Order: sequence, then C-alpha cells, then structure tokens
Amino acid sequence: MQMYRVARRLSEVWRVRWSWAIGTALVCAAPPVAVGQETAAFFKQNCYSCHTIGGGRLVGPDLKSVSQRKDREWLVRFILNPQAMMDRGDPYAMRILEESRGVVMAQIAGLTRDRANLLLDLIEAESALEKSQFEGIKFSDRPFTELDVETGERIFNGLTRLSNGGPPCISCHTVRGLGLLGGGRLGVDLTKVSERVGGRKPLSAWLVSPATTTMQPVFKSYPMEPEEILSLVAFFENSAKQVGDDDSVAPLTFFLLGLMGMVLVLGLFDALWKNRFRAVRRPLVAGGEMRTEV
Amino acid sequence: MNVRSQVSMVFHLDKCIGCHTCSIACKNIWTDRKGTDYMWWNNVETKPGTGFPTRWEDQEKYKGGWEKKNGSISLKSTDKKRIILNIFHNPHMPSMDDYYEPWTYDYQNLFNAKEGPDQPVALPISKVTGDHINVESGPNWDDDLGGSPIYAENDPNLKGLTEQQREHLFAIERLVMFYLPRICNHCLNPACVASCPSGALYKRGEDGIVLIDQKKCRAWRSCVSACPYKKTYFNWFTGKSEKCILCFPRVETGQAPACFHSCVGRIRYLGVLLYDADRIEEVAHLPDEELIDGHRSLVLDPNDPQVVEAARRSGVHDSIVESARNSPVYKFVKEWRIALPPHIEYRTMPMLYYVPPMSPVMSERNDKTVDNVSDSLFHDIEQARIPLKFLANLFGAGHEAKVVYALRKQKAVRWYRRALTVGDVTLDEAKRMLAAADCTVEEAEAIYRLTSLCTFDERFVIPPSHREEAIEMMEDPHERRQSTGFGFLAGPRRGL
Repeated sequence: MQMYRVARRLSEVWRVRWSWAIGTALVCAAPPVAVGQETAAFFKQNCYSCHTIGGGRLVGPDLKSVSQRKDREWLVRFILNPQAMMDRGDPYAMRILEESRGVVMAQIAGLTRDRANLLLDLIEAESALEKSQFEGIKFSDRPFTELDVETGERIFNGLTRLSNGGPPCISCHTVRGLGLLGGGRLGVDLTKVSERVGGRKPLSAWLVSPATTTMQPVFKSYPMEPEEILSLVAFFENSAKQVGDDDSVAPLTFFLLGLMGMVLVLGLFDALWKNRFRAVRRPLVAGGEMRTEV
Repeated sequence: MNVRSQVSMVFHLDKCIGCHTCSIACKNIWTDRKGTDYMWWNNVETKPGTGFPTRWEDQEKYKGGWEKKNGSISLKSTDKKRIILNIFHNPHMPSMDDYYEPWTYDYQNLFNAKEGPDQPVALPISKVTGDHINVESGPNWDDDLGGSPIYAENDPNLKGLTEQQREHLFAIERLVMFYLPRICNHCLNPACVASCPSGALYKRGEDGIVLIDQKKCRAWRSCVSACPYKKTYFNWFTGKSEKCILCFPRVETGQAPACFHSCVGRIRYLGVLLYDADRIEEVAHLPDEELIDGHRSLVLDPNDPQVVEAARRSGVHDSIVESARNSPVYKFVKEWRIALPPHIEYRTMPMLYYVPPMSPVMSERNDKTVDNVSDSLFHDIEQARIPLKFLANLFGAGHEAKVVYALRKQKAVRWYRRALTVGDVTLDEAKRMLAAADCTVEEAEAIYRLTSLCTFDERFVIPPSHREEAIEMMEDPHERRQSTGFGFLAGPRRGL
C-alpha cells in the first residue's frame, strides 16, 4: 500500500515536470509574428484608450513618430513609471502633463522593460505605415439629444443594464446632482470628467477600454457598446454643463441622514422594548403615586 | 408515581421577632466576598412594606415567575424566542438602585483627618465605585416601618384592601406589622432553572436544593429576572449569578443551615418531604384557587406502604423515608395544614412554607379596662388589624379560605392552652373552638408542643444525605474517597 502511494506521487511529480518543460519549449519556439500580435493586443488593451498613432491626440498625445521626439531610454523609463518622471521634474514630462491638463498617465500593470521595448518597436513600425491600424476608433459625431442624456443617466444609475453585463457606473462613481446620497465614493467624481480629459473624442476612446488598474480588469470581459458610450458621454457633458463651479458635495446631508437614521433606530428600539424594566424604587420615593390600587 | 425527596422548610411567622440574626449568620458565612456585598440570600422584611429588592412582588414590573396563557404555563420574563432576541440585553433586569448600592464607611478618616475645629466623620463610600455616595436606600430601609410611610403604602399585597382597612393599618399608635424572613424557596418548578440559557442552574435530585454551577454560568442573568422572589443575585465581580445554597455543606453533614441554626425565635423548621415528581406539571397548571390544595397533594405520606414502595423503586433511600416520617414540615403542611406557600400564584411551587402570623388581639378600651373577650368565637380573625385580604394576597393567591383555616386553628390552640393554664376560658368553650377549627385535642397538643416547646432535634430533622449514592451516578465513590481533597482551588472568574 505504502509503496503504491509513493509510486503514484512520483508519477504525479513527473507529469507536472513534463508539462512545464513542453510549455516552455513551445513559448520559446513561437514565431515573431505571434509576439507582434500579442504586443498589438496589449497596446489595444492598455494604450489605445488614450493614445492614437497618427489619429491626433486623445487624453494623451498622438504617438506617431514618438521615437523621433525623445530617445529610446527616456521613453522606456517614462512608460514604466510616468509618475516618477513627473515627480523628478523632468521638463519634457512636465510639458506632457501640462498638455494633457493634469491627467497623469496610468502605470500599466504587468509592464516590463522588455515589453516596453516591444511596444516602442510596434509604435515605430506603425508610424512608418501610411495608415496605422491604431489611427483611432471612429465615433458618431452627431449632436447629442435629450434622449441621449437621459439614456446615459439611466445607464450611469444602473436603471438600464449595460448590454454586455458591465457594472453600473454608480457603484463606484458619483456625479453631482444625482440626488440625496449621490453615487459611490470609491472612484473619482465624474462631474467634470469630460472637461478633464479634453472633450467628447478622448472620453469616448477612454470608455472603449478603460485602462486604469481598477477598471481594466472589470471591463476587459464586459466592454461597452458604442451606443452606450455615446449616451454616457452625452450624460457626462451635460452634467459638466449643468453644475456650475459649486463644489459643495453632500457631507452635511450625509451626516444629517445618519443622525436621523440613528434617532429612528433608537426610537424603534424604544418602541420594541417598551415593556422593559425601568426603575421602581426611585419613582416610588419621588412620587409616591405608584400606591397599590384599591 | 415518581417519588423524590426534598429538604423543605417552614417559617413560623407568629414567632418571628424580626431580629435579623439569620441574615447576619448567612452574610458572615456566604456573602461577605467582593461582588456579593448587596446579596442577602436570607433577608427579613417588614410587612406591610416593599421588601428587597423594592416591590419585588410587583411582577408587572419585574416579570418573575410563570403565567398561565392559553391553557399552558410559560415564563413571564422570557421564552426560547425572546431569549435570542434579548441575548445581549435582558430587558427585565432590576437595576442596582432597586437593590441598593452597597457601601462602607471611610473609617480611616477618623484616624487620619487633619486637626480642625470639628470632629472627623466617617463618610459612606460605595463598595462598587469607591467614591463617596449619598446613601438613598438599603436592604432594610423600611424596617419596622421606618424610612418613610411611602414604602409601607406601596406594598403590592395591599391590593384589594378598602380605604378604611388601609387607614386602620397605618393609623398612628395603632400601627401594626409583622416580619417575613425570606430565603430561596428551592421550588419544585423553579423559574430560574427553566430560564437559564446556559443550563447552569439545576435542582439536585437527591434533596431538591437548587444550585447554580459557577463554571457554567455565563452571566446572562435570565435567572435574576425569572425568579419571582428575586432570590438569585448577580455577582458583579466574578460575573456569575449566585443564590442561597441552603448551606448544603452543612445539611450534608447533618447540621441545620446557618440561618436555621442561629434563629433566636426558633421560628424555622426543616425536614424532608416526599413528593410525586410526575404530577408537578399537572399541578402547576391548576387554576389559582386550587393551587394550594394541588401543591399540598404533591406531598406524599411517608407512612403509606405504596409510597414507600414507590420511593424504593425511585432510588430514595429507606433512611430518607424514615426521616420524612419525623419531618416537622410534613406535620405543618400536610397534617395540620397551617403552613402555606408564599405567592403560590407565581406557580414555581415553593418548598418553603409560612405559618401565617396572628395579629395583635383586637381590643376595645372601656374606660380603663381593655376588653378583648369576643362574642363570636373568631371575631378577631375576621376583623384583625392585619386584614385577611392582605395575608390572603401573600399566602393564598388572593383567596382567604386557606389563611382563615390556618389562623383559626392557631387561635383555637391558643385558647385551648389558655383554658388549661390561665383558666379565663372554660375548657368547654375551648373545645368548641377546636372543633370549629377542625382540630382535635391531640392535634392541639402536638401543635402546641412543636410551636412552643420544640427542641433543636424536633425542629431540624435533617435527612442523611447519602452523598455516596448521589456521587455513584457520576463516579466511583471509592475512587472519589481516595482522591478527594487533591487538586487546585479555582474560584469563579469572569469569562468562559
């Protein structure tokens, strides 16, 4: 029995070893085309929401011929940790920050020096083409209607579910003028988001594949449809217009609601336990009115 | 028939002088530890009065005992559903103020005070907080109707008395009172045991003493609110509840409990009663007016061969049955029927009985002589200064018949003895009274003996405890004997 167990265990170990070895060999032997495709997919997933190659700037600058603007080493450092470059006060990085109205490029998860180099290779190759595959997504530019705004609000609030099953915006974000309690406070306040990212086009592009560490894994499998993006952008633009510069969010309302809730709960407790024991001796001595009835 | 034995008690209130010797004896032995300061396992109350804790008989407030609802009885304070809902806050707990805040005095100040124009005084200090307090009440605040008239006027037993009766009761210079010493009743249907969510309370099978397991108690305090006599107390220091243990270490070794032993007025009687455990539930469901008879019917005759046989089958030792034959409690409760359970309407079936007290003789002042000879035989019972209704509220579930019976018999015995020793009543008249009070001459003599001339051994007929038999259920008595005394003494502590 004991022998049998040992033998089985050994065979298991070997099986795992073998599969690992075969996997490694396969990866190493993969053709360069496959690597290029993978990089393109990575670009689409992580960069495309803010950058185009030859399609003009979105939130971030157009990346066409970026390697002519700065040397390879600088670019790699910037891609790996944009915030660090800004903090160091690099003059070119500061200029980029200014151009994008203070929106700092997100640090992309799973980015290594090798991959950054591959990305730059891709950008160089795409820049050389006359028409890059990353020229930008085409969005309808028809003027927004009342209906768009309304649909956008319903999508934001979760009253209309996103068709591919993504979570409603309100679970993490808020927009001023939503009502008493507003939305979630986990994500940023989206009231002025369209102004912040620079208008309709960048915002639409952003929503195609949101690239922040929090949103990317959530929306990767449940992307939004172009009509939904259109409605949401309409809603965001409208909300930026509606709300002035008034910055008083509702902390006081929140506090007062909490207070009211507490009073209500205490009142409920008092009612539920209305027959609880209260003092006997003190009222008896104080009033003497308890006198046993005749 | 499931025969069990119960160490039972009779307190003869006609003899109690309210000296509190019992309370002090108990306090010195059991409750002078930290956290037990406020507990009075034995206390003596003045009646009319509100007692300890204040107005404990007011079950509208305290929710103690059982109540009959839809044909079955349930605890007033809790049930399986409510115990879960209220598990973190027992809504029927008496507050410290309804007992009293235990205090001592700052005696050191008498020695250490700085020299000054005034004598130093020892101010009261709370034994709970250690701060100076203004003492507002105590366990005997209304003793002897002292304190303030408010307390006596608020006795719940005054319910149903007329305005005139109340006036008579409290009229200046005619004021009347009696004393009610109270310990745990070691009930047959104990509400405290029924209420405990931890199962920490139990009634000992061998002698019926109700105890709290200090290792199992989890401080829920359900017993405190469930006991209608408010005789379980919460020790705020150890976080466990405690109650009268009927001095079981003394009883097991053949000694009377401390409060019995020390009783100056010799009002206390202790002896074993055999009862039918199968009928407790049935009796607890009887209507109020049948409760006393039902309760009495639970007590079995130890001379009945059927009972003796059943007792043997149930594992009650012959020596206990023998002890039951000599039990003074059996005589008072079952033969003479002059001892009554307190507040039987709480349906806990208390096993402590009281002989109701005679009021001072009603008298009329004719010039300078006091006339106390009555036309009718028992007129001063019906018109006693302590109204019958009051005693009936205490000992008869509001019904006077049983109380009247007990008082008549006592009075008849008194008159009979008077005819024999003083001679101002003719023997014929005395015998007429005895007959009217359902009492024979032999019975009168026996009552007189056990009331007035009783010796120590007549008052306390303590059954052999047969611990070896009780232990047999759990462990081998021989092993126990060899290892007892070894181990570690661990006092109760807060927590699990």
